[in-house]
Amino acid sequence: MTKLLELQGVSKTYGKNTVALSEINFSVNEGEFVSVIGPSGAGKSTLLRCINRMIDSTSGEINFDGQAVQKLNKKALRQFRTKIGMIFQHYNLVDRLTVFENVLHGRLGYKSTLAGAFGFYTDEEKRQALELLSILGLESQVYKRCDQLSGGQKQRVGIARALVQKPKLLLCDEPIASLDPNASKVIMDYLQTICKSMGITVMVNLHQVDVALKYSDRVIGISKGEVVYQGDPRFMKEEEIHHIYGSEAGELIFNLSEESHYVG
Amino acid sequence: MKDLSTKDIIKPLKTEKKIKVKPFSKAGLVIRLTLIALAGLTIYGFITFDYKNITFFEALAGSLTNFRVMFTEAHFNHFTFSEALYQVLITLCLALLTTIIGAIISLFLGLFAAQNLSSPLLSNSIKNVIAIIRAVPTVLWVLIFAVSAGLGSVAAVIGMTFHSVGYLVKAYSEAFEELDHGVIEALQAGGANWWQIVWQAVIPSTLTYLVSWTFLRFEINFAAAIAMGAAAGAGGIGFDLFMASNFYLDLREAGVITFFILAVAILLEIIAVRLKKYLKTAQ
Ligand SMILES: Nc1ncnc2c1ncn2[C@@H]1O[C@H](COP(=O)(O)OP(=O)(O)O)[C@@H](O)[C@H]1O
Ligand SMILES: [Mg+2]
Repeated sequence: MTKLLELQGVSKTYGKNTVALSEINFSVNEGEFVSVIGPSGAGKSTLLRCINRMIDSTSGEINFDGQAVQKLNKKALRQFRTKIGMIFQHYNLVDRLTVFENVLHGRLGYKSTLAGAFGFYTDEEKRQALELLSILGLESQVYKRCDQLSGGQKQRVGIARALVQKPKLLLCDEPIASLDPNASKVIMDYLQTICKSMGITVMVNLHQVDVALKYSDRVIGISKGEVVYQGDPRFMKEEEIHHIYGSEAGELIFNLSEESHYVG
Repeated sequence: MKDLSTKDIIKPLKTEKKIKVKPFSKAGLVIRLTLIALAGLTIYGFITFDYKNITFFEALAGSLTNFRVMFTEAHFNHFTFSEALYQVLITLCLALLTTIIGAIISLFLGLFAAQNLSSPLLSNSIKNVIAIIRAVPTVLWVLIFAVSAGLGSVAAVIGMTFHSVGYLVKAYSEAFEELDHGVIEALQAGGANWWQIVWQAVIPSTLTYLVSWTFLRFEINFAAAIAMGAAAGAGGIGFDLFMASNFYLDLREAGVITFFILAVAILLEIIAVRLKKYLKTAQ
């Protein structure tokens, strides 16, 4: 298997003394589904944003698809970002625009300033956007304004916007944290499909350990900015989960033995 | 154990000091003192006015008579209905022109002044300059520009545009700053550049605010344009009002003109309400 992403000794310090990440090492293979779990404030969001350089890491090396991420200049950075889709807890759509317009925003990185600013998209781009919307079950919402959608629908629009970039990697920062269990399952199932049948690598920050265990090929546990666990979720032990969450979760609210009964 | 009646429970509180809802603050004290001083000065002012032997009730009756003449006997004297309409149109155009030029300049300056779209240095510099421009009243700006352009429509256009920019940049940049940071982040993460984010996310998200602030400024500029017609010889209905009241001393004509202005102002208000409703529901 080929390595798509590799982090070596990556650290991030906010200001002078807030250490968000320290000496992170791991790599992600093409087509892998990786979950990052850990308590709030552990550095999950920071980690994801260092990968697509929404945040500049303080030290260490990040390699993505053969490129040294930290060395990219402004123009190369734009091009590089088109290869990584990102979805968010709060969807981050332009509420006053239509579903279609929001999905097409995923193409902006490929376009000239003028064409992008005025929203001139090619027929091919529009066709791709519509195709993705129908895969995600949104064909009847295409011309609806985004503020009229439910949370689950908004997140699917967010996924379509990321996929229309034709990314190699999908970064998801707590994609189901604002959704009810049903919508969460729909979203996680879509992410799994995207990974397994489209061959797009997926990296998800999650709060729900059971979801992470059910869907991922590999779990990365971080605590206080350090990777404290890495491995196959099938062999993960309860002590290891306790270790990731520290004393914060004396009693985890789920039971590992019940995990296999998770819906679906 | 003794039965406690309500009386017993409430009693002890009564002997205590008054309970304050707000903590003591210096600012609150200063505000209170200022208000007391202002009230005192107002009373002193009224007592020491030089009334020049005009009795209050006579003066009041005189004013009411003038008002009655102005508004119940209003009629044209020095010009016709269509001429008045034409002059109102000139005033409206003056307001429209200054609003549009001001809005275009402000849109760009507003983007650079918004903290979330610009660098702190640039944003703060623009905001400070704009605050100074705004602090000087429109009329004063017109008179300042009249020094180089001469009294007339040119000075009025430049001066009014200037103050409009001061007003709109503040309004626009604050609307831009309200935008959720996540939206900008999402587009950036997809590789969009600054101008694309501005036109695809920032402006669509804030359009309702931009339009209503601009229209509000248009109404202000309409009022300013009337005043400029009188004070700076910029023409339009304001100049006619000035002539009627100060030159011909024709109360009736001044009344007609006031009605005209009032009608236009009401019309603008109706359009503003409609526009806002339309924008709220539009796709
Ligand atoms: N912009 C920032 N400025 C300063 N500190 C930050 C900033 N963003 C995050 N942090 C700090 O970095 C640490 C990791 O935060 P984050 O990556 O958001 O954690 P998580 O996503 O796991 O909850 C926290 O201690 C947080 O307070
Ligand atoms: Mg987070």
